[in-house]
Amino acid sequence: MEMFSETDGDVVVAVVLADELDADNAKWFKSKMSDIIGNNRKFVLDMGQVRFVDSSGCGALLSALRQISAAGGDLKLANVQKSVQSMFELVRLHRIVEMFDTREAAVKSFG
Amino acid sequence: MNAVRGKILIADDDPTVRIVLTKLFEKSGFEVIAAQNGKEAVERLTSDILAVILDLDMPEMNGIGCLRYIRQHMEDISPIMLTANEDISSAVEAMRSGAFDYITKPFNPRKLTALVDKAIATDAQARRLHQVEAELAHAREHEIEMAARIQQTLLMGAPPRNFKGLEIANATIPSHKVDGDFYDFIAVDSQHLDVIVGDVMGKGIASALMGAATKSYFMHVIHESGCAACHSNAYPEPDAIVSGVHAAMIHQMEALETFVTLCYARFDMALRQMRFVDCGHMRTIHYRCQTGDCTLLEGVNMPLGFPETVPFTLHTESFAPGDIFFFYSDGLTEAMTAEGQLFGEERLTALVPKYAAVPPDQIIHRIWKDIVAFSGSETFRDDFTCVVVKITPFRLIPSDSHRAVSAPSEKHGEFSMKFSSDLSELSRIRHFVRDGCIAVFPQLLNEDRISMIELAVTEVVTNIIRHAYGGVSDKPIEISIGFENNALMIEFLDQGKSFDPDRAPPPKFDGSREGGFGLYIISHIADDVVYEKRQNNTNRTLLKIYPGHGPDSDPDV
Repeated sequence: MEMFSETDGDVVVAVVLADELDADNAKWFKSKMSDIIGNNRKFVLDMGQVRFVDSSGCGALLSALRQISAAGGDLKLANVQKSVQSMFELVRLHRIVEMFDTREAAVKSFG
Repeated sequence: MNAVRGKILIADDDPTVRIVLTKLFEKSGFEVIAAQNGKEAVERLTSDILAVILDLDMPEMNGIGCLRYIRQHMEDISPIMLTANEDISSAVEAMRSGAFDYITKPFNPRKLTALVDKAIATDAQARRLHQVEAELAHAREHEIEMAARIQQTLLMGAPPRNFKGLEIANATIPSHKVDGDFYDFIAVDSQHLDVIVGDVMGKGIASALMGAATKSYFMHVIHESGCAACHSNAYPEPDAIVSGVHAAMIHQMEALETFVTLCYARFDMALRQMRFVDCGHMRTIHYRCQTGDCTLLEGVNMPLGFPETVPFTLHTESFAPGDIFFFYSDGLTEAMTAEGQLFGEERLTALVPKYAAVPPDQIIHRIWKDIVAFSGSETFRDDFTCVVVKITPFRLIPSDSHRAVSAPSEKHGEFSMKFSSDLSELSRIRHFVRDGCIAVFPQLLNEDRISMIELAVTEVVTNIIRHAYGGVSDKPIEISIGFENNALMIEFLDQGKSFDPDRAPPPKFDGSREGGFGLYIISHIADDVVYEKRQNNTNRTLLKIYPGHGPDSDPDV
């Protein structure tokens, strides 16, 4: 699993290069996210390649969200696949994190 | 009366004739047995009698009846018939029934003794001929037996027992002229099984030996490259192996003017595919469990023995649980009726889906029976050789069974699989569960539902690894998938600490806590969840899912 990140203006856009976020790689994902977030406040995570997320993966996302929120920023998700979306709805993550169909829309939402 | 020439049997109801004949032949040096009628003649018949003279018209059993009995029971005796002058039509019938000749009464004694001598000489010759024929048949039998023994011991390998994920059956029934059919199985490692099936052009011991030679070349090439693989960590692909065998054998095969058709197939359990090199062999039948269709797998390579063969093309065919690969020799498709109609590829291909549900050895047996019924014979012109490889299906538990849902774990290997308590197994476990669900409920489960089931299973396994085993890896987790009363059953067995769901804290949906969602997810996806402690420190977790329901929605909160 790899992560790729770039900046679009003042928004950091990170792409998850993995098919699955589960208990096996959640720890890695969490620390990688933590590194990328650093002091940035506007953060978009492109999940287009991810087709499976379990509760550990959700936990890692929540942890990232907390880190950003603590610094007064926000995390938005883009390109979430349908099966992952169902999972997010099940644990109500969709009420905490905003999701967008495209990366551009997510970046734009920061205004 | 020393130097008796042998026994002679005469039968006539006229005592005068009996006395005359007895005197006549005793004088010629025979021991004479005289019977009063056909019945007595039959009773006094012994195997050392050299000649028989029968009156046509006798009481009890007449001459024709007696003649037929003798021809039937002692084929090397041709009786001579005595007839009255007016009885020519009966004499002709006697000739048709196998009499040596007939002589009319009153008879010329010299003519009769000459006829008897001739009959004895002719019968002796026939006996010798029969003996030679019998010896020849025995020798041929011996050759067939030899060739059959070569075939069974050298040409036909045995499949590995209990290769995980595959059910294999093989059969060979030698024809009267043994072919050079051969097959073998090589378990490369726990994830890869190679199957080689081949056929040497021609028949008899020569082709059987050629088949054995080809097989040993394969072993040689595989062994050599296997040794090399120990260093390079890469086992050669089928095309490389076939190339190696081709290079080693081409000169001999050209010299012997023979060629070999074959299919070298590798079953890759990790990638769920079969990679094969086909060199002009019969087209392997691939039955797909999910669609019920068959594909005929055909390569583009020429048979081994043709110089222009290199390079060999490798084909890839993916497979799923329940699929069947049927390898066979031309003995099956070229079995024919008495009228010369061939059984053919089309008929054979139609039989594989028909018998797909029965175990592989039964598939072979039933196809054999069908071909026997078609051809009207149990012996074929060519060897009947076939290998069936079935990808272990996920079997359903009989829904009316009282064995309850514990059944899958008691029946190992069929729809259950063991995993180790390592988070890196999760991906493989999801694959297993996905395939199992599709196999059990092919139509009823949609993609969304399957993703959800994958999620629930991931949560259960993660809990077992983290909590029951405390994060220790290499501990067993056995997962079984079954079907009962319209519900999908997924059972997990582990040997760790038992789990009390009541002591687990509820999840928080405000994002304040990362953990605690696992149990919530499991209970919302499965229609029923059972945790129980069983004997031998085994914990059992059971998820019951009714495919008709969707995942619980929660309009509250």
